[in-house]
Amino acid sequence: MNQSEFTRRLLLQGTAGLLGTAALARVVPAQAATDELRLWAAPIMRPFDTWAPFEEKAGIKLAWSPKSASADEALSKMMVGDGRKLYDAFTDNGGGMEDAMAENGVIAELDTARIPNWNLLRDEVRDPNGEAAHSIRYKDKVYAVPYIANADSLAYNKSMLGQDYNSWEALFDPEFKGRTAMQNDFGPTMTVTAIYLHDSGKMSIKNRSDMQPDEIQGVAEFLIEKKKAGQFRTFWNGFQQGVDLLASGEVAMMSCWEPIQRVAAKKSGQDIVYGTMKEGHQVWNNIVMLTKDAAAAGKDAAFYKLAETVLSPWYTTRQLSRFGFASLTTGMVDYLEANAADFDVADLKETLKRKEQRYAVAGNAWQNVYPTHLRTYQEWWSRVQAA
Amino acid sequence: MTVVTPREGAGDGSLWQRLVADDGPGRLLFYLPAVFMTVFFLVPLALTLVWSVFERTMFWMEPGFTLAAYGDFFLSGRLDSFLNSVQSGLVTVLVAFALGFPIAVFVRRSLPVAAQHKAVLLFILPFMISEVIRLFSLRPVLGRNGIVNDALIGIGLIDLPLDWLLFTPAAVVIGEVMSFLPFMVFCGFLAMEGVPDYVFELCSDLGSGVVRTFVRVIVPLAAPGIFAATVFIFVNSLGLFLVPDLLGGPGAANAGTLVVNAIAALDFPLAMAIAAVMVALMVGLLLIGHRLFDITKILQPYR
Repeated sequence: MNQSEFTRRLLLQGTAGLLGTAALARVVPAQAATDELRLWAAPIMRPFDTWAPFEEKAGIKLAWSPKSASADEALSKMMVGDGRKLYDAFTDNGGGMEDAMAENGVIAELDTARIPNWNLLRDEVRDPNGEAAHSIRYKDKVYAVPYIANADSLAYNKSMLGQDYNSWEALFDPEFKGRTAMQNDFGPTMTVTAIYLHDSGKMSIKNRSDMQPDEIQGVAEFLIEKKKAGQFRTFWNGFQQGVDLLASGEVAMMSCWEPIQRVAAKKSGQDIVYGTMKEGHQVWNNIVMLTKDAAAAGKDAAFYKLAETVLSPWYTTRQLSRFGFASLTTGMVDYLEANAADFDVADLKETLKRKEQRYAVAGNAWQNVYPTHLRTYQEWWSRVQAA
Repeated sequence: MTVVTPREGAGDGSLWQRLVADDGPGRLLFYLPAVFMTVFFLVPLALTLVWSVFERTMFWMEPGFTLAAYGDFFLSGRLDSFLNSVQSGLVTVLVAFALGFPIAVFVRRSLPVAAQHKAVLLFILPFMISEVIRLFSLRPVLGRNGIVNDALIGIGLIDLPLDWLLFTPAAVVIGEVMSFLPFMVFCGFLAMEGVPDYVFELCSDLGSGVVRTFVRVIVPLAAPGIFAATVFIFVNSLGLFLVPDLLGGPGAANAGTLVVNAIAALDFPLAMAIAAVMVALMVGLLLIGHRLFDITKILQPYR
């Protein structure tokens, strides 16, 4: 072997070794320590600039991968893809997703006795017969921890309109033609419309969360009629688009998530209000789930620490402060008052009060990720889009 | 000094020489692009067609043969959205031609040779900014309280802001033209570059006016390039869902949006069926183009 061959061979071997190691590290994720949880979660789960405060509070390490809010991503990754090998815990919408995941053996059943803060959950979720019980359960067994929740409503620019609104009627009122918007998603948009149509007596809809084909058609035809009449400026997609629409004054009111209203109000400096609608709202939970693989690998203890933390007032009040969300738990007001230096207590108590008012409306409908007639929803939504 | 040719100097390195010899195994390297295209284009294309007739399940699909996905496309509002996006794409092509091709002709005919390529390269600059940013930045420009409306009101041309500039089909065309105009400029310029100067001199000597020269001489000679630009723009217009997403009206959708929506709804056969229809449309367009313009000339200089 001469010098040049030696050098070249060494170089090749070294390079191949490095590349091989790197490739292997990409393909076969290293087995993380049992106190480190590989968390695949929406950024909204983190009401801090970094995860460090959460890790310190929970006493665990997190290897976080950001996740979008789209349901298809979780389904394709966890059921078809390699998600179960990559992540120990993940978040998604409650009320359907946990059913799909549990039915397909992706997630582990939870022992709520290992989460002392479980008792802080409100009866709607904790009680097996509560109206939101289904959003964390599959076949009466708990599979998910609800970490944020809300009742989505109408945001309106009071500075521009000069008055308050308490009915979805305003959203469809020809007086505001071309100055309203809704979400470009058949789930929340058709549910909210159904709530309005039912409560106003324009249609009789038995279950606004899970409509029958003729009911879906009626709701879609109403939206098509309004759309053709020029009622909607647009249908918004995503957080930033929603904020932009409201803050720029492009629309005077729209159905949206509460953080959109909060950010738009701060950004524009205008009095943009998140109202309480007398007809009802779409109520939802976001949940965090533990994969069966992680439970088998001994990661359950770390997961229960995470669950304990997201249900604590320490976390829920910070969610409330940062995004206007909070899980359906009790104890927030006491915590806020005891830690007044850390929060704008008056503002947050007012936010909680409005939240309670929205939760209390009789016509509320819980989010249903997978309604029975899903294809009919999709089919009619395509007609709304094309109208 | 002894001159050593590669073959003579091969010695111990003859392995390399044998590899790269005309009849050596190295010639197989030239088949790599074909292998690449087969694996990453033809196979996925074939799978698209096969999967489009599979049975949909709750979360995936299973082998079978059904045209249900095509039924879901052709017998729903999706077809209307698709046809709307075809119409929007055609309008975009026409506007891009009206704006972009004269630029290409101007650069080719009126600028010094040394400046021509630099001028054309200027049109690359917008591509250096993210598509999302470019499109999103149109919103404060075209909105009710946007720069255009403020300017028009400021100079007294209008009293009330123009609503149709944003969240309308017109806004989609504006966004698409802004995004795809460089294709028309590039292709038009390349086509014009192959047209010798004496052609223009002949037209001038024969007394042909500017308009007549443009319509009867320049456009026919540049037709393959114009067609190439048309295909690029039309395909992107159908498939790039960001434009209707950010600038279109309520629920605005093009073919790309329909595919994304179908995947989001876990209706993979439907997504594949829509993609198959898009491919069929493009193949049809290319066949028509080939018949009319002989698209093999696209990459050939003018003779």
